[in-house]
Amino acid sequence: MVSLTINGRVVQANKGEMLLSVTRREGIDIPALCHHDAVEPFGACRLCMVEITKAEWDGWTNYVAACLYPVEDGLIVQTHSSKVNELRRTVLDLLLARCPNSPEIRQLAAEYGVTQTAYEEIPDADNCILCGLCTRVCERLGFKAISTVGRGHDKVVAPPLKEAPPDCVGCLSCAQVCPTNVIQYEDEGNKRTIWNKSFELIACKECGKQTITRDFAEALSSQRNIPEDYFELCDECHRRELSVKMGSIVSWSREAAS
Amino acid sequence: MKQRLIVTPDLCTGCRTCELACAFAHSVKGKPGRSRIYPLPTGKHEMWTPVVCLHCDDPACAKSCLVDAITRNEETGAMELDNDKCVKCMACVAACPFGCSLHDAQHDLVVKCDLCGGDPVCAHFCPTKALTCRPVIPTRRKAVV
Ligand code: SF4
Ligand code: SF4
Ligand code: SF4
Ligand code: SF4
Ligand code: FES
Repeated sequence: MVSLTINGRVVQANKGEMLLSVTRREGIDIPALCHHDAVEPFGACRLCMVEITKAEWDGWTNYVAACLYPVEDGLIVQTHSSKVNELRRTVLDLLLARCPNSPEIRQLAAEYGVTQTAYEEIPDADNCILCGLCTRVCERLGFKAISTVGRGHDKVVAPPLKEAPPDCVGCLSCAQVCPTNVIQYEDEGNKRTIWNKSFELIACKECGKQTITRDFAEALSSQRNIPEDYFELCDECHRRELSVKMGSIVSWSREAAS
Repeated sequence: MKQRLIVTPDLCTGCRTCELACAFAHSVKGKPGRSRIYPLPTGKHEMWTPVVCLHCDDPACAKSCLVDAITRNEETGAMELDNDKCVKCMACVAACPFGCSLHDAQHDLVVKCDLCGGDPVCAHFCPTKALTCRPVIPTRRKAVV
């Protein structure tokens, strides 16, 4: 265990833990758009910058990304000092020029008092902040269906050759974790479409409810040894099946006892 | 200590108190969460049974989770889901053969029974003791010579 001071309060943390996970546990709201606990910290968005110092630093301070900074004993942290807020405003100003139409970025920027970017807005902007969370999560899942392609100005997230990605299973995780909700998908009838690829959604054989795609279920069966018939019923019909089984067991035991 | 939530279907009257207790115990920002326990009719003798996670020895939910968001709490024995790690792929919801991993649509979270950290609230509220909670006592086995 290490002991550190955050915004004047002494808190305990586990050795090796990142500052951001400690501030989150303490309920301190630090914007962290490129971070997700499912993947390793990446440090792309720079919004989680905080001010750190130590008693022996003679008043010197440093600014670090909380998502990438392991806690240390005796660390003194300020998460919302005027200098920190100023840094975040600069980052948000840049993000606003990149994604002027993103409601998520607009709202966050407004919270920090930035309503209009000082930079030139990018023409035909999409709302992608290029944090790479989607590609990193897809890689963590083992599918590696999408990646960032191009460099600098032309960098975008896309499937290989910008065609329907052969390795995508349509699990939607990329869309779920995207901080600016740019990744579009559609569920219609028994079809799901994402990244220009269509998938069959498995319908519950009792009630028709759909939960995941056939491709995803097949990947889970083969990689994780989950019997394929587990995916034939939805959660609700599985519960009902269990309650009916329980009824049979109890009535059988009652008959056996009488 | 490891806990076991004991379900005795004979005693369940289907009053749904457990559902209410669970929903309130798992509130998110002051709003009740989705109940992780479901009292359901068994179709026999007007008998009901609460359906809840069995914290399986070989859990399909954890096996299906490709980001390892579902892990065993060694202290309580519960299979717990970490919402900060979950990417909402719905694999566990589809894979649990007892339908005990659920999507809480109101809060857009994937949820399951966590034994309330070792002291299940549903068991406290069940008026008929259809739900009780007991610590798991390790069974002593005779040494085979
Ligand atoms: S939907 Fe496709 S691209 Fe997105 S995370 Fe799943 S497999 Fe990867
Ligand atoms: S509270 Fe008890 S009696 Fe009521 S439904 Fe739940 S398990 Fe059954
Ligand atoms: S959620 Fe389902 S698979 Fe997972 S431990 Fe509970 S009953 Fe078993
Ligand atoms: S929905 Fe969440 S907990 Fe369930 S398998 Fe997917 S990532 Fe894991
Ligand atoms: S969350 Fe730390 S840099 Fe993006």
